[in-house]
Amino acid sequence: MCGIVGYIGNRQAQPILFDCLSKLEYRGYDSCGIAIGGNSIDLYKDAIRVKALSKIAPQIPGTIGIGHTRWATHGEPCRLNAHPHCDCDNNIAVVHNGVINNFQRLREQLTAEGHNFTSETDTEIIPHLIEKYYTGNLEQAVECALRDIDGSFAIIALRAGEPRLVVARKDNPLVLGVGDREYFIASDIPALLDYTDRFIYLEDDDIGVITTDGIQIKKEGVEVLIKEEKISWTINDARKSGYEHFMIKEIHEQPKVIRDTLGEWKSAEPLTGLESILARETEAMLILACGSSFHAAMVGKYLVQDLLGIPARVEIASEFSYYREPLAATVALVITQSGETADILKTIKILKEVGCKVMVITNVLGSSAARISDDKLYTRAGPEISVAATKSFTAQLMVLYWLMMSYSRVDAIRLSGMLLGLRQMPSKVQQVLDNEENLIKHARYLSGYDNVFFMGRGINYPIALEGALKLKEISYIHAEGYAAGELKHGPFALLSNNTPVIAIIAKDNTYESMLTNIKEVKARGAPIIALAEEKDETIGSIADFVISVPKVDAIFSPIVNVVALQLLAYYTAKERCCDIDFPRNLAKSVTVE
Amino acid sequence: MEQAVILAAGEGQRLRPLTVTKPKVMLHVAGKPILSYVIEALAENGIRNIVLVVGYRREQVLDYFGSGEQFGVEINYVTQERQLGTAHALAHVRSVITDKFLVLPGDNLIEAATIARFVSAEPHAVLIKRVDDPSRYGAVILDNGSVRNIIEKPREAVSNMVNTGIYAFTNDIFNFIEPELDIPDVLNNMILQGNTISAQKTNGTWLDVVHPWHLLSLNDIVLHRIDGNTGGTIENGVTIKGQVSVGEGTLIHANSYLVGPVVIGKNCDIGPNVCLMPSTSVGDNVIISPFSEIRNSIICNDVHIGAGCIIEDSIIDKGCVIKSHFIACSGEADVKIGDEYYGVNMGAIIGESCYLGNNTVAQPGAIVGNYSQVQSLKLITGRLNDRSLLV
Repeated sequence: MCGIVGYIGNRQAQPILFDCLSKLEYRGYDSCGIAIGGNSIDLYKDAIRVKALSKIAPQIPGTIGIGHTRWATHGEPCRLNAHPHCDCDNNIAVVHNGVINNFQRLREQLTAEGHNFTSETDTEIIPHLIEKYYTGNLEQAVECALRDIDGSFAIIALRAGEPRLVVARKDNPLVLGVGDREYFIASDIPALLDYTDRFIYLEDDDIGVITTDGIQIKKEGVEVLIKEEKISWTINDARKSGYEHFMIKEIHEQPKVIRDTLGEWKSAEPLTGLESILARETEAMLILACGSSFHAAMVGKYLVQDLLGIPARVEIASEFSYYREPLAATVALVITQSGETADILKTIKILKEVGCKVMVITNVLGSSAARISDDKLYTRAGPEISVAATKSFTAQLMVLYWLMMSYSRVDAIRLSGMLLGLRQMPSKVQQVLDNEENLIKHARYLSGYDNVFFMGRGINYPIALEGALKLKEISYIHAEGYAAGELKHGPFALLSNNTPVIAIIAKDNTYESMLTNIKEVKARGAPIIALAEEKDETIGSIADFVISVPKVDAIFSPIVNVVALQLLAYYTAKERCCDIDFPRNLAKSVTVE
Repeated sequence: MEQAVILAAGEGQRLRPLTVTKPKVMLHVAGKPILSYVIEALAENGIRNIVLVVGYRREQVLDYFGSGEQFGVEINYVTQERQLGTAHALAHVRSVITDKFLVLPGDNLIEAATIARFVSAEPHAVLIKRVDDPSRYGAVILDNGSVRNIIEKPREAVSNMVNTGIYAFTNDIFNFIEPELDIPDVLNNMILQGNTISAQKTNGTWLDVVHPWHLLSLNDIVLHRIDGNTGGTIENGVTIKGQVSVGEGTLIHANSYLVGPVVIGKNCDIGPNVCLMPSTSVGDNVIISPFSEIRNSIICNDVHIGAGCIIEDSIIDKGCVIKSHFIACSGEADVKIGDEYYGVNMGAIIGESCYLGNNTVAQPGAIVGNYSQVQSLKLITGRLNDRSLLV
């Protein structure tokens, strides 16, 4: 998991490369580097953040270059392991995002042939392979090199004395931005929005040659027709606009994200193409995801059962490939924010091999997952920069509600009540945001503890998991989410007056049981923070603290509850002075298994 | 002049309940916050470097305007934690000001023509306007085209020319600011010390909102300037007269009757058989059910209006759910704001996210606080606090 960039044109490449890299830091930021082309290759790299490197780097003149920001997989973060990597003579420089499975064997082979390696990375074999095959044509050498490689990659290669960049991808993202006699290359679109709104998507197994005169793309030796697309995102979407962190800006965008999703739903024709997938004869559904998306998937499981009346099975994508039993479902829903998560892509391939229809819900237009699935639905969250998922999660929930309500088998009275309730969600979420002051108070309290439990039941059980995930990933407080009924099977041993428990309560058939669970926890001396509907006096009398959320139809309570928990996590992390947008050891989209 | 500072930190207490969750500059008029008209006026005059001084409920401003790109400007934000006056607000921007700059209030409605000449005024200067009743404003006494004195809320009619709160300064002004003051006091002090403040007159629009019902007259004035366009879907049998603007994704169902000026936002569902009469603005994601009539009113985002409602001269804030046969008719009313009574002709003002049951009736001048709930068949009179329950 890394970010790569490239530039070729008439401007100085160095400032452009650093600027684009800084926008890719969400993909990893333990080390970074650039290489500027010309008569020789000038390399500058270190195990520091992009901003720090750009300050100390010497000005290297040149209008062609490549850059990299790293999330370590092979080899610890240090200067030698930072990209770009070069061949023996420092004539060829390569940046790479992905993992090469057979690198050990290739490395031994290349070493035997006399190549010298300086790093522990898998990437370094690529420039050496290119060197081995180079006979005067860089593109052909890259093509030959990639034939030897088993793994995933997005690469940009540069050779001294050649005014061209060679790009290629397989299972990792790469986009080309088109300017006026200049071209930009990056792992994603937002990194380039300051420079252009015209893009070309590279497909798997494409190899492209870019000069200032144009782009040529070949697949298996045959030239491919180039399709340019205009992007409607604005740079605005990817800036902090007055907020201290991207995370809080993105939390605040949620009413708009929900309103946009509703708008699209309204104006859309009946969901064409999905009929086959959610046809009435569908007997069961499989939902797959990772991370926060997995929690959205778990909410989806309740919705499928409640609204479609069919069984649903939810699995973590990275575990799915280990199951040997035959699939119980003919339809699979796959949820992924980036559409590039390696575990997800692998799972989709497995599902398709056994004949399962796959529909993906993703936030990234033209992402790998969107391309290889049978059908796709896009969440309208816009670019999410903060590593902690917030608006993409609520957007996923909205799409799940939309989907399940469109095909629901519930009666008309319930459905019309739900439709009215759903349209109020932008205002309800805004109300949670308007109550921010109150949450800051609770965050201050929480920031003094080292262990926190979250518990919920029913459709809010996944929200307990998501709340715990948010808190641990940005505030580094040890937090665990539990189904409220499971706490007594072990975790009770950990409860004391030093372990606050956050109880998520909805006014549905779980209410009475939750009250019982709260009393059980209280009896063990743990402080209770209850997240409950406003004006609930029963809860007020038994909990130590109450976070009130607006009253909504219980089926939509996950939305208001998760927004409150996002704010709680954000302000707790802020209270503890954490680097909220760049939590330690993490990266936004994880393209390694 | 290339830089402008807009003061957008104030609360607007006399506009409650509408300003409980948003600052005064974010009150909507003809489908957009007042502040957006100020920013548009600046952009049209070529001023794109904008500093917004925000404070009270600043998130609402940040969420709407972002970095300004959508509005063709670049916005930087400066936070004034406590709102102690306009000079105090100005003191906060010292570090981001380069040279000459404009200062504008964010809560007064202006148009491009208002400041077209003033953007090239030589600092220090103040923009003035003739009004009929200067008693609410700062009266400007002139001396050969320069300001001699600014008298706040004059008891006697000393001058009909008033201060618009729009100024042209150089960064020299920061030497004179004493934070506990308002800008007019600072100017008066400067004049006493022998500095010249020139005055320039404008005939363009400059309108203030003091009480909630003023939003309706502003709405009316702005709506009369709009051009009609239809971004949504209009079913057969819909009659449209005058200037009507329909946002993307909005559906106007059959037999609805729309008489402009009317603005309807995005993704609304209107009708069938709905009458929207002149000077009505409708936000985004609004549902108006069959047989309802709305006239000279402001309906904000995410509102649901049931069947057979009559709404006149009223403001419905965002997220309200109003069931069938709600009536808010216009009439004479004595409305209490603070300790004073005002005689006005109006319908009702409903705060955000209220629930009004079937067949509720609001008397003229009724003001319902945010998040209130009113059961079916109730009569709403006078003023209800936030979170009231009328059963």
